Amino acid sequence: MITNRRKHIVVAMTLIAPFVFIFALVFLYPTLKMVELSFTNAPLIGSGEWVGLDNYRRLFNDNLFYTSLKNNGYFVLLTVVPTTVIALAIALAVNRLAGSMQALVLAVFFLPYILPVSVVTQIWAWMLDFQFGILQPLIEWVTGKPVAVFNHPSWVMPAVASITIWWTNGFNVLLFIAGLRNISPDLYEAAALDGASRRQLFMKITWPLLWPVTALVLTLQLILQLKLFDQVYLLSGGGPFNSSYVLLMMVYREAFQLNHGGYASAVAVILFVLIMIVSVLQFQLLRIGGRK
Amino acid sequence: MKLLKSMILATATFASAGSAMAQTEVVWWDFFVGGDGQRMKALIGQFNDEHPDIQINATSSEWGVPFYTRVRTAAAVGQGPDIMSYHLSRVPLALSEGILTPITDSDLEQAGLARDDFFPRSIEAASNDEGTLYAVPFDIHSIVLYYNKSYLEGSDYLDEAGNLVGIESLDDLNAALALAQDNGSQTPLSYQTSGPGGIWRIFHTLLSQQGGTLIENGEVLPGDNLDKATRAIAIMQDWGDKNYQPEHAEYEASVALFTSGRSAFFINGVWEVPTLVDMEAAGTLGFEWGAVAVPTLLEEDAIWADSHAFAVPIQGNKEMAPEKREAVMTVIGWMEKHVLDWAAAGHIPAYLPVAESEAFTQMEPNATYASLADKAVYDARSDIAGVASPVYDAALNVIAPAIHGFLEPEQAAEHMRQELQALLN
Repeated sequence: MITNRRKHIVVAMTLIAPFVFIFALVFLYPTLKMVELSFTNAPLIGSGEWVGLDNYRRLFNDNLFYTSLKNNGYFVLLTVVPTTVIALAIALAVNRLAGSMQALVLAVFFLPYILPVSVVTQIWAWMLDFQFGILQPLIEWVTGKPVAVFNHPSWVMPAVASITIWWTNGFNVLLFIAGLRNISPDLYEAAALDGASRRQLFMKITWPLLWPVTALVLTLQLILQLKLFDQVYLLSGGGPFNSSYVLLMMVYREAFQLNHGGYASAVAVILFVLIMIVSVLQFQLLRIGGRK
Repeated sequence: MKLLKSMILATATFASAGSAMAQTEVVWWDFFVGGDGQRMKALIGQFNDEHPDIQINATSSEWGVPFYTRVRTAAAVGQGPDIMSYHLSRVPLALSEGILTPITDSDLEQAGLARDDFFPRSIEAASNDEGTLYAVPFDIHSIVLYYNKSYLEGSDYLDEAGNLVGIESLDDLNAALALAQDNGSQTPLSYQTSGPGGIWRIFHTLLSQQGGTLIENGEVLPGDNLDKATRAIAIMQDWGDKNYQPEHAEYEASVALFTSGRSAFFINGVWEVPTLVDMEAAGTLGFEWGAVAVPTLLEEDAIWADSHAFAVPIQGNKEMAPEKREAVMTVIGWMEKHVLDWAAAGHIPAYLPVAESEAFTQMEPNATYASLADKAVYDARSDIAGVASPVYDAALNVIAPAIHGFLEPEQAAEHMRQELQALLN
């Protein structure tokens, strides 16, 4: 068939134009503006004077920046791999159920995901309340005394991480279930005929064929968890003594409490670049890992 | 039928309002909720009833950062209110943001007020360094020492009339706390130990009572102020070590500890007075109580204080119409003269003619602690201090762990100094 190539391009352009327009308006333009702002001493509203790299220089001398960076890293360690492993385990288990039972169990695991963050944090703040929390007897049984988890420097991050996993895990389970359903049952049947054990079935069929989904989940989680803000803001406010302070808290404080739009933008730019580098790097690494 | 009636009534009201000539609408934003909110709504309702030519259209939003962020963004683009409530401790930041309009002498005249009508400390806090006024103080609110008489009966701490006496130093207070503990009070001194407000107000009081200041000439805790801050934190930590104060008590829990009769003493804002008055009237309190100004525990008379005030924000690039500004000033003047109703929420009027009136000097327990207006120490004049500021955050972030034993007082003071200094540089 002969196609008018030119016409083809025009049609394609017309079709993507609305998206490109919206993308440019609400993402590209603000992003460029943010980068521009980060080189100025602008307040939250209005423009400022060009100060070159001053904001960045100041940022790299700011102790809180390094504390926040470290906490962001710690939180990623606490969440990304654990949530992926847990989601995979749940998905494998749920996949063995059939019919309405499977739907029901899946719904139960997915339920927390539909809750807004404020509800999630409120539920857990109550459950872990120092004086009246329903989970305090459990903590007391393990540690010997009640613990104000969000006020304790070594408990706060693991607590926030556990809550985050509880909250967001349902979505990952869903992705894994979809991945598992894509694996043809024929493969398992053939392997079973050849006498493969359960372990071999998982290691030789499920795991490699599920790898693209696993890589996707890991990458999505990494991006999501680096953007940590809401849970920390609502549960611990970054304390005690900055044990849970993260980069986005810094952006919030500089921009909205201290009226430093320029400096806040600089922190945001660094976070943006960091997420970009780390996630591209991770995705590439995972792809290489998957090809072996 | 009832619905129909009210609809007809509403229509009639609406029609009559529409026919009234040239009514000025004053858009009002405040952060008063709870008991304060009810009192303010009543005042606004009364004002609207008495002034057919001016209509206040009021909106309340959440106290703290949400309110102040909204005000700043809205005022900068001309979508803000005509008048708003403001904390005087927040004025320095507002000045650097440039969102307040100066209150001129002719404005005050329009409102029927003068600078001399207010407590000098509040006028000072409402002005910039050159003395230009940017807000009209409405009240002075502070922390007071509430006490439960049942734990002190028969001791030297109650006089014949049943009023608290004899607490003139830290040792006196600690002895009274020990006595109350022996008499069965589990946590004899309740305050919010797990939130920025409660901790900051007590810390600032203890620091000021040593003559210390948080920020001087752009330096956080310079010179021996660091040691004074350390001592203040050590005092609070000691209350924790002796189990005088509750561990990790959120605001509501700290109130409940006192109202349920478990704590003999309670340090909190005057705004909890209505809670106790109401409970006593309803017969649900179960003990006799009183409130006094926080005693001078250390060397100098000083008590943390703040003020609610009225301010007029900028209207983006535009000027407010003169008639509108006149209406706003009329509102402010009327409110100041009716501040007695507001004082029932525990506050002390900033407006002297009311503060010195017989009606107020007989209002209990306000009159008992009204002397604190002369000892009031506002937060440091700085962009990082004031309500919902990084200084408040530091109280929760650094002092709270220290009073629970996770940090030594020296470490905490030093940490606070470094962190706040970094924000100032």
